[in-house]
Amino acid sequence: MTRRWMVCGLLVMSLLLPGLVRAQDTLMVYSSVDEENAKKLLDAFSKATGVKVRFTFLSSGPAVARIEAEKNNPQADVWYGAPSENHVVLKEKGLSQPYVSPNAKDLAVKFKDPEGYWTSFYMNPLGFASNVNTLKQKGVEPPTSWADLLKPGFKGQVQTPSPQTSGTGYNMVAALILIMGEEKAFDYLKKLNPSIQTYTQSGTAPSKAAAIGQAGVGIQFTPAFLQLIEEGYPLKITFPKEGVGFEAPAISILKGAPHPELAKRLVDWAISLPGQATLTDAKTYFFPVHPKAKVAKDLPAFEEIPTTNYDAIWAGKEKKRLVDRWINEVLRAPK
Amino acid sequence: MGTNAVVRWWAQSVRDLRRLRDEPLLGVAVVSIFALLLLFILYPLARVLTASLFPDGAFSPRLYREFLGNWFIRQAFLNSVLMGILTAAGGTIIGFLFAFTLTRTDVPGKSILTLAAILPIISPPFVSALSIILLFGNNGLITRQLLGLQEFAIYGMRGLLLAQIFTFFPVAYLTLRGVLESLGGTLEDAAMNLGATRWKAFRRVTLPLCLPGIASALLVLFIESIADFGNPLILGGSGFPVLSVQVYLQVTGMYDLPGGAALAVVLLVPSVTTFLIQRYWVSRKQYVTVTGKPTRAIIRAVSPAMQWALYAACLAVALFVLLFYATIVVGAFSRAWGADHSFTLRNFGYVFGVGGQAIIDTLIIAVTSSPLAGLLGMAIAFLVIRRRFPGRQAMEFISILNFAVPGTVIGIGYILAFNQRPLLLTGTAIILIANFLFRYIPVGIQSGMAGLRQIDPSIEEAASNLGASTPVTFRRITLPLLVPAFFSGLVFSFVRAMTAISAAIFLVSADWNLMTVQILSQTEAGRLGAAAAFSVLLILIILLAIGIIRLVLGQLFEYRYQAAFG
Repeated sequence: MTRRWMVCGLLVMSLLLPGLVRAQDTLMVYSSVDEENAKKLLDAFSKATGVKVRFTFLSSGPAVARIEAEKNNPQADVWYGAPSENHVVLKEKGLSQPYVSPNAKDLAVKFKDPEGYWTSFYMNPLGFASNVNTLKQKGVEPPTSWADLLKPGFKGQVQTPSPQTSGTGYNMVAALILIMGEEKAFDYLKKLNPSIQTYTQSGTAPSKAAAIGQAGVGIQFTPAFLQLIEEGYPLKITFPKEGVGFEAPAISILKGAPHPELAKRLVDWAISLPGQATLTDAKTYFFPVHPKAKVAKDLPAFEEIPTTNYDAIWAGKEKKRLVDRWINEVLRAPK
Repeated sequence: MGTNAVVRWWAQSVRDLRRLRDEPLLGVAVVSIFALLLLFILYPLARVLTASLFPDGAFSPRLYREFLGNWFIRQAFLNSVLMGILTAAGGTIIGFLFAFTLTRTDVPGKSILTLAAILPIISPPFVSALSIILLFGNNGLITRQLLGLQEFAIYGMRGLLLAQIFTFFPVAYLTLRGVLESLGGTLEDAAMNLGATRWKAFRRVTLPLCLPGIASALLVLFIESIADFGNPLILGGSGFPVLSVQVYLQVTGMYDLPGGAALAVVLLVPSVTTFLIQRYWVSRKQYVTVTGKPTRAIIRAVSPAMQWALYAACLAVALFVLLFYATIVVGAFSRAWGADHSFTLRNFGYVFGVGGQAIIDTLIIAVTSSPLAGLLGMAIAFLVIRRRFPGRQAMEFISILNFAVPGTVIGIGYILAFNQRPLLLTGTAIILIANFLFRYIPVGIQSGMAGLRQIDPSIEEAASNLGASTPVTFRRITLPLLVPAFFSGLVFSFVRAMTAISAAIFLVSADWNLMTVQILSQTEAGRLGAAAAFSVLLILIILLAIGIIRLVLGQLFEYRYQAAFG
């Protein structure tokens, strides 16, 4: 009996050992880009540069929490993906380090931190996805403006992420403020309340609810819509003519990164023309940020989407106040 | 009077310490368990608590003051408690229904009912909520197609309660089945021989003897449902805020770790209160039913009419369980789950291509942590109920504490605690194993204690008198008698190691990844079929593992399950 337990113990020890050994020359990445796309993009990076990469998928909230908790002994070199607002937070918390890539000169100002703390490497507009079948039953057309969503036909049919919990939800509120001004934007959001079926906690829940017909319209960033259409769901993408925000997911090099040189090579490559071309070749549904990069044929032309001049740094600074106002005014408004 | 009590307590402690000296192995066991509990439960929690009390580097209770003055948080607190009570009550009733029907009646198809009663314990995160929406949502199979309801509001209290009871009743079932099984039917027979009606025998004999089990089930369900955030995150929405979700959001949405920690401490208040009430209530009663004397039931405790009524109720729940899982299986084999259900295998091809390593990692971690959790759980239950040593109450209390804390907070606590030498565990499998081990022992401990209270100590005393030491008594006498409880502990911790995500999401690494994190990644990217396929694999692995656990326990302890699991 005793021997049996000892064998068990040894077995356990042998299972644990591999975790204690870590490769020295490998770039460690926390990726908020989804598993499959991160794998495609980072494999292309390894192939192009010979740098070995290991990554862990973490959505943006857990990623920041984790980087903060690990700050005395960082376990990763870079945070890869998640909209730039989150990287602004990382910079303000003193958890990242600056690096101005020589390739960054090609990028528009809105795609990089002035001091080089983060660099955006792709972007996605916010959009509406309508379930064609559900809306047909309700007798309404897919919405083409924010004002459309106030129509009675959309009552209880729209899902949008909550700004309290989701970067996407906050992006929508902040962009509406930039388009309409703060007071009018909050007025609009209060009037929108009856149309909202639920404010989802996750930024990607609305697309799924629309896909399976639980909701008529889902509001979020477009890549998941395109993926769902590819899978065969009856969705139609439209953009509100008053304007929408966009996200520009970025890379930050973490303070105290064990392999800063490898991390810099990832930043250089991600915004280089070959790196940007991978976004399209790998079928990620992401829009490149480099002005000369080619855009996939099945994506709508970015110029035709009425994007606002979204300001991630302003949005980051105002977040706490605006979210508190949203909870107190919009969430409490009558349904 | 006050001094008297202190003197008595002191004298008792000294006596207890002497006893420890006489039995050094017991001392070693107690000390090492305490060391583990301190390191893996109290220390990480202390790090989180410190973070909440020193938000700006200096001591300040400002976070607590802010939250108490916030209507949204107050509402979330009330919602949590309400949800916890209703889930505990509903889940325990359904759990008891199944446990009673399966142990006290003779109905056909018991193996299917048994399966239905434990299957919902395996609820793959995110995909379960999607399945519930597909069954009960606006376009749901049950609400729309079968009942013809329009616009059934799935988001909010109603939908969430449905999902919570569904997810947690198996925990009550597992606890109560163990209790009812070890009760046997003899006492009920005796009552009826003495002239009691069936109803009276049930009310005066069966039910009171089940009280410790019922109390345990209520406690575990209440605590688990208020700490859970998977279902509320998706089905609660912003309209029905609950505290566990707020903790998660405070940390991950507002990037406010101290604030999240403070909310978690608030959430601990109802959990700990419940725990104390249960302790006070149950510990005052005595229940010994396993005496070592022959037991054999003769008279049926349930009338035929009642039997069929119970059977019908169980079948209704079983049907619902079946639909729930069928929905996921259909999704795994469909082109577009919920829209285009033409058959395809591509989801599985995708899963094995992208997630092969995660499947292996998950298995290694679950297979390592659950036997440890099962054994440690039984050991703690045994020590707490059967041995006297100083800090006995504290041991029970600490070991159950992690169960009441939202996973998010434990995850953060583990990183804060184990990211520096000499305790550098981040990035390894150890941190994941320790997390699952210490988070999910309470179910084993609770069912172990409920079981032990029913076993006459004289059986163990007999072993001691014949010269067996504490470890030998534990291994040869107590553990075999506790096999049903041990089984619940093992199954539960294995299942949770395979399906839990809230703490694990902070602890996975490039070297050690988990299937649940894959499911999250796939649902976020919009590959619902792949997420469903992952879930089907997860369920198959768990069912297989339950079969193996049963077989191994049967071999080790020569215990035969009567129709327990198929």
